[in-house]
Amino acid sequence: MSQSSAQVRVAVDAMGGDFAPGEIVKGAVMAARQGDVAVTLVGQQDAMAAALRSEGAPPDLLECVHAPDVIREGEAPALAIRHKRLSSIVVGTKLVKDGKADAFVSAGSSGAVAAAAATYLGMLQGMERPTIGGGFSSFAPNIVIMDLGANVDCKSHQLLSFAIAGTVYSRTVYGIARPSVGLLSTGSEEGKGNEAVKEAYGLLKKSGLNFIGNIEGNDILAGKANVVVCDGFVGNVILKFYESIGDHARVWLLGKYPSVKRLVGWAFDRVLPIRKLSYEGEEEGSGLLWGVNGVVRIAHGACKAEHIVHGINAARKAVQVDIVGNLRRELELYRAQGIL
Amino acid sequence: MTVEEQVKEIVSKIAHIDKSIISREATFKEMKADSLDVVQALVAVEEKFDIEIPDEEAQKFRNFGDFVDFVAREAAKKKG
Repeated sequence: MSQSSAQVRVAVDAMGGDFAPGEIVKGAVMAARQGDVAVTLVGQQDAMAAALRSEGAPPDLLECVHAPDVIREGEAPALAIRHKRLSSIVVGTKLVKDGKADAFVSAGSSGAVAAAAATYLGMLQGMERPTIGGGFSSFAPNIVIMDLGANVDCKSHQLLSFAIAGTVYSRTVYGIARPSVGLLSTGSEEGKGNEAVKEAYGLLKKSGLNFIGNIEGNDILAGKANVVVCDGFVGNVILKFYESIGDHARVWLLGKYPSVKRLVGWAFDRVLPIRKLSYEGEEEGSGLLWGVNGVVRIAHGACKAEHIVHGINAARKAVQVDIVGNLRRELELYRAQGIL
Repeated sequence: MTVEEQVKEIVSKIAHIDKSIISREATFKEMKADSLDVVQALVAVEEKFDIEIPDEEAQKFRNFGDFVDFVAREAAKKKG
């Protein structure tokens, strides 16, 4: 398919994810067939060609860029991107850096994608590390949690930068003019939490953000804050715990009330979207990597073709609304005030 | 600006380290630079000086001074 000048160009890591390359290529083909995005697959040529054949994709539907190496889950991210410079993650990131793609989507190792983006695209001034943000759309549709796993150990000023990125996210994605920011801690009082959290409290208090103080785990789904700030260790544990609730609640209810099995099944399948907790809406199955100088989306490792389509469409939208520029300008304001 | 000053500038900016604590004898660990800081610095230096730092060479750097000396040698070779 010929590329029109209005088309956003999205590079997709064909080798990343539990169901790669099959599901990834399938999703890329589905997105390319929409016609409003130019998709480039990045990965091992033979594997991509086989997957494209099985999808019945015409040769000119999308472009393929060969990347012979694959970074596996469990490899140390920083070392992996250095040792495997011809991996799909590094090659795909460099397509954005070199202006050959507008965005990159990968379901590969989150740490490696974040490391490659930080290294090759660079960080926006004021952001030390990339951060992954996302929400729990079923129960609390207008909240964003930052970080969801890109940074397991964080310093206080990094937490401040996550709060700024989360504020931009909330404004841009949810349209909330002045999002409230809560710092996740073990108590609502100022002195609660570990050292980084206690220091971050002071920074957030004088930041000019709409900081409402510490919030606790039980405040998240209540929507007490639009932006929930935490380190990636805590954020990732919360995310995975949350994702597991639906299935476990269903099993528990069926065991506890076997006589109403049909009602429970109906409730979970039709009424409560609980089994899809964090996969709903346009953010479905992937999250934007915030703080890097380019549009990069990290998809869930277990994502399927439809999640890749959502990821590609969300990447296109992020390019079109200049989400990176929005964050850059916001960070510049805080830097000018000496806050960052 | 000398090569050492330029490399120091890059490392300081990437790892958010005060230049005053970057000495020739300091290791990256002592400077509290993590593995991503180191990789980012290596790539940034490669781009700045248009050189390549092979992984096997990078692994031999015992401290910041070794890093600077390697960059200076490669940059001089590049200039011819």
